Amino acid sequence: MMKTNLLDYMKARDLLSKYGLSSIESAYVESAKEAINFSKGKKIVLKVLSDKALHKSKAGLVKADLSGEKEIRDAYEYLEKKARPLQPCKIIAQRMSKGGIEIIIGSNTDPEFGKTVLIGLGGIYVEAFKDVAIRIAPITKYDATDMLQQLRSSSVITSAGARAPMIESILMKVSRMVNDHPEISELDLNPVIITEEGYDIVDIRVLE
Amino acid sequence: MTAKNSAKYKRKNLKPMLKPKSVAIIGASRDPSKVGHVILQNYINSGYEGKIYPVNKSGEDILDIKTYKNIGDIKKKVDLAIIAIPAQFVPQVLEECGKAGARTAVVVSGGFAEIGNVDLQKQMADVAEKYGMPTLGPNCLGVMDSRSRSDTLFLPTYKLSKPQIGGVSFVAQSGAVGSTILDLIVGEGFGMSKFFSYGNAAHVDEVDILDYLMHDKETRVIVMYVEGINRGKEFLRIAKEAGKKKPIVILKAGLTAAGQQAAHSHTAALAGNYQTHEAVFRQAGFTIAHDIKDLLYYAKIFASEPEPNGPRVAILTNGGGAGVLTTDAIASTRDLRLAEFGKETTAALKKTMPALVNIRNPLDLAGDADDKRYGDALAALQADQNIDMLIVITLFQTPGADSRVASKLIEYKDKSAKPMINISIGSSYTMMHKIMMESAGLPVYDSPAAAAAALSELLRFYKFKSRK
Repeated sequence: MMKTNLLDYMKARDLLSKYGLSSIESAYVESAKEAINFSKGKKIVLKVLSDKALHKSKAGLVKADLSGEKEIRDAYEYLEKKARPLQPCKIIAQRMSKGGIEIIIGSNTDPEFGKTVLIGLGGIYVEAFKDVAIRIAPITKYDATDMLQQLRSSSVITSAGARAPMIESILMKVSRMVNDHPEISELDLNPVIITEEGYDIVDIRVLE
Repeated sequence: MTAKNSAKYKRKNLKPMLKPKSVAIIGASRDPSKVGHVILQNYINSGYEGKIYPVNKSGEDILDIKTYKNIGDIKKKVDLAIIAIPAQFVPQVLEECGKAGARTAVVVSGGFAEIGNVDLQKQMADVAEKYGMPTLGPNCLGVMDSRSRSDTLFLPTYKLSKPQIGGVSFVAQSGAVGSTILDLIVGEGFGMSKFFSYGNAAHVDEVDILDYLMHDKETRVIVMYVEGINRGKEFLRIAKEAGKKKPIVILKAGLTAAGQQAAHSHTAALAGNYQTHEAVFRQAGFTIAHDIKDLLYYAKIFASEPEPNGPRVAILTNGGGAGVLTTDAIASTRDLRLAEFGKETTAALKKTMPALVNIRNPLDLAGDADDKRYGDALAALQADQNIDMLIVITLFQTPGADSRVASKLIEYKDKSAKPMINISIGSSYTMMHKIMMESAGLPVYDSPAAAAAALSELLRFYKFKSRK
């Protein structure tokens, strides 16, 4: 197995947007002040990004639902301390998603069959329920529909009518992206939050 | 698939392996305990009509058949060379087969990659490739074709009767699982077309076999047991093509195998080796079995049942409990649902059924239901356009159920344009009727869950086949 390299978050975000996949507004911040400026009075999330931490929430590297100068400053200072042993690392500020059903969409490279596309119930449930559907890229529209229907949590994920076509389209775009980029060995969009208006890609990991 | 991958792919012609006009048995022996003897004896006993050439280095005749010292001495066309000699001599002998113009070969001998002799196996595969001679094995049982009666299996016939001729072909990497399946299908009503046990897959592998069987007119259903897949991308391509042509049922071993690579992402942790294989099978429209018995449950529904018009199932039973259990089984599938009887059906049933029969689905004919009551009910249900599939439960322990009921079911099965299956649960008296009904083409299930899963897969296959 080759050594993998985590693609810079903002570069990964740009790559996704080339495929029409919009992820939640984000920026690196190097001070509490920058984080406060980013928030513009709205709720934000601060996260530590490091190669050394796959499970950010579990490791206490995420501070969510932040508003107001004091709260943001405290959170920033707290994370900065936590981040010290995890160098090299960065702190990223993101808009707070309005919330909804969390799903995971991802890809990896199978030694025999090549690139895969995966969808599952996401967030904290990923590992508990392992409710996932996988296909080999490139996938067709039929595959995307079939993947969603295969999930035990299918009705939960798609409960608001038009969500199924939207999620299928994300799957197709991810399939196209990993197929075009052989250097992407693994990809996690986890969670993708399915909201009432659409979706928010909240966390991105692209491994090369 | 990239064009490069497809360009490299060469189809292997396996027809001479399954339909040989002549076979050379290399390692044929006078010693009844030797594999080479058993194979020769089987060819003599099976009614195989082609030429048989025993080859043994002594050159002395075996079982009164002219025996050759070397395949090169035969000087006639050999469609299939069966090699049953110690591993170290196999590459040399295979070379002689190639020179003699043998069209295909089966190497039953073990002692190759399975015990670490990887180089020896590679030598063997290289020879096969050099002569363009499709070679099955090594370390396998080989092939069996119920029509040509070519059979390289060296299983003692007293332990294993041969299945009847039919449309289901079996492919098993493992010889042991293969022979277990072979033994099990003797007890089933559907017949077998071809059987492959391909062992180490040094030359001919699951891709070649699948490619052959999907084009084989005698094969209606393909049933596979695999432990690993050699050529992933070619397999996916062939599997996608095959899955549109025929029902393919697959059991893959290794659900609990440890992951092969360290995962850096959640996705990689979740998409293990087994899960990825399952993804490939789903994408190709295969039916995924989780147990050896599932293979038979699915094989029999595909072997006999037509395409359903929809998901609506009617249940006919002579036991209330079994009807409820079957209703539950239907409800626990994703796609099947209980049919609602049409008005005409309800009216017809009210006329023909005794007052104690409640006219609703599941239709409980009561424990005293005889052939007449079953017949009347079946006539009404078969005509109903609101019903797409029929499950007929016959508990033979009840007073009314006997061979006349089984005959009545067979009569209606023959008339049925809809999928129609039976559930009978019980021991010897039930088994007797199971064989009777299955031989007449009515699949019999021994559990409501298995019956519901089978119908659900039948529906899924035809939906997949007709997808855009």
